[in-house]
Amino acid sequence: MKLLKTLIILTTLSFSQSGQTSAKAAFEIYQKDKSSIKNKKIAHELIDGQYYFSAIAFINNYLREHNEIDSDLENDIETLVIKTGTMAVLNLEENRLENFSIPSISLVLGTRLFNKGLNEKAYAILSKIPEGHKFSIEANLIKGTIKNLERKHIEALNLYEACAKKADQQENLSEGDKLKRYYSYLKETCIIRQARIKIEDKKYEEALEFYEQIDKRSYKWPYILMDKAWANYYLKDYNRALGLTVTYKSPLLESYFFPEAEVLMALSYYNLCLWDDSLKVVDHFYDYYQPKADALKEILGQNKKSDTYFLDLYYADPKARENLNPFIRNLITQTKKQVKFNLDLASLKAAKDELALIKKLKTKNEFTIHLEANLESTISFISAKINFYIKKEIFAFINEIHKHSYSMFNLKLELLSKKREEIYNTKSEQNRVRERGSEQNVNRKNNQYFFDFNGSFWADELGDYSFGLKSQCSQKTEE
Amino acid sequence: MKLLFLSIFIFSFSLRSEDKKNTVYKYKDYEVIDLGSMEVKGQIIAPGDLTVNERERRVFKRSLLEKENFDFENKREIENLR
Repeated sequence: MKLLKTLIILTTLSFSQSGQTSAKAAFEIYQKDKSSIKNKKIAHELIDGQYYFSAIAFINNYLREHNEIDSDLENDIETLVIKTGTMAVLNLEENRLENFSIPSISLVLGTRLFNKGLNEKAYAILSKIPEGHKFSIEANLIKGTIKNLERKHIEALNLYEACAKKADQQENLSEGDKLKRYYSYLKETCIIRQARIKIEDKKYEEALEFYEQIDKRSYKWPYILMDKAWANYYLKDYNRALGLTVTYKSPLLESYFFPEAEVLMALSYYNLCLWDDSLKVVDHFYDYYQPKADALKEILGQNKKSDTYFLDLYYADPKARENLNPFIRNLITQTKKQVKFNLDLASLKAAKDELALIKKLKTKNEFTIHLEANLESTISFISAKINFYIKKEIFAFINEIHKHSYSMFNLKLELLSKKREEIYNTKSEQNRVRERGSEQNVNRKNNQYFFDFNGSFWADELGDYSFGLKSQCSQKTEE
Repeated sequence: MKLLFLSIFIFSFSLRSEDKKNTVYKYKDYEVIDLGSMEVKGQIIAPGDLTVNERERRVFKRSLLEKENFDFENKREIENLR
């Protein structure tokens, strides 16, 4: 045990010593070097000493003035992109970045252009990344998305397939848990994309086969329940669609809320001609989401201009968050599961640690003061970025509720019209014998088991539920 | 010409003298109404089963939610990546 402790202390010491040496070397270059590649040299020393966020400004300054990137600089930029994400070339405009064709810059630029809606340009930039490169996984995912949006499904499928294959290889090759998880996330995203294309092409059975590849323990799994429910809905297996959407009501998935799931549930009842059940879901939607949307809108309105409010909500303890609005807790839990949020949060922590290290340096000079100022502005930028991200997620959620309330409005009108039609046709509800829940109404495949639902959700059963309701539509035709 | 004026004068004079005569109006003393010959025309009409034509009720189909693509989810996934 003692040996282990000594080893840890020695490693930490050597680590901080190498950091100090690099900082010293960077300072010497900062002071003495008058050459045009001074910024490149400083950045290299800082990256060597693991001062990644401090190196950003020097790399950006160098790239602003030079068009050439040698192999050393390429490695440095790649390390920066891995460690700091899109922050690596944050200060450079797109038209400047277009001059470089190294994979790391192409990935950052391509992503940036895609998010701005410049798909054609983004596709061309991302195509510069060689197929064998590790960044080709993300590049293929974005390129596939672009082709998917253009409805070029064959091309999109090929790109998604290449993405899933390469991600699988990288997952097996990489050693760190975090990196493994990241590649696994990319692989699953690309598999899901293939399934979605199958749904768009109305090949629902094939789509469901793709979804089977996603493990129940995966981060992506709760999200595919919605997709699978749609596939079953279009296969007219409304009982299975109901079973999938009702899974979100299990305690394990309480932080996941999809207004669309409520609409799909109501639609499934509607297609089984169970008007009253469908109406109940519609009314529940308004009762449940309306006050929450109003409360969130109020919070957003009050803190719209704040750069820290939503980030502070993340750091606040759950009880304090619940006092404000219980809904916020779940919304933040859901946001915390997003890759971007986690990467940005990790960047914020790393930048803060780096600032603490620089403040601890024995020698204080013009250079360290310059680094501290840079880091402080980087930290406030990342904080504002995360704050904006949470705010955007809340906005997106409210907008989704509003969008689906329109669908629910139409559905309610349709349901009322159906009920009125029934009254005119004197087909009273009371005269019907309503068989509810029978095993005979459950469509099952060879690999699907059947168990009774006894009022409690079991983790291993999640995602495999099906209702056993008899469609009232067939009765209608019999009458 | 003189002759024409004279004849017009004599004619108009003769018309005036006729206006001054007493006019006597005579009314009917009685009138017989034959109730037996009157008949009730028309009837009170109400729709019955035979008068109402059965026709299909017009159904106004409202657009219900359809999932034609996953563009929204796909774009958000990329935004949430980096």
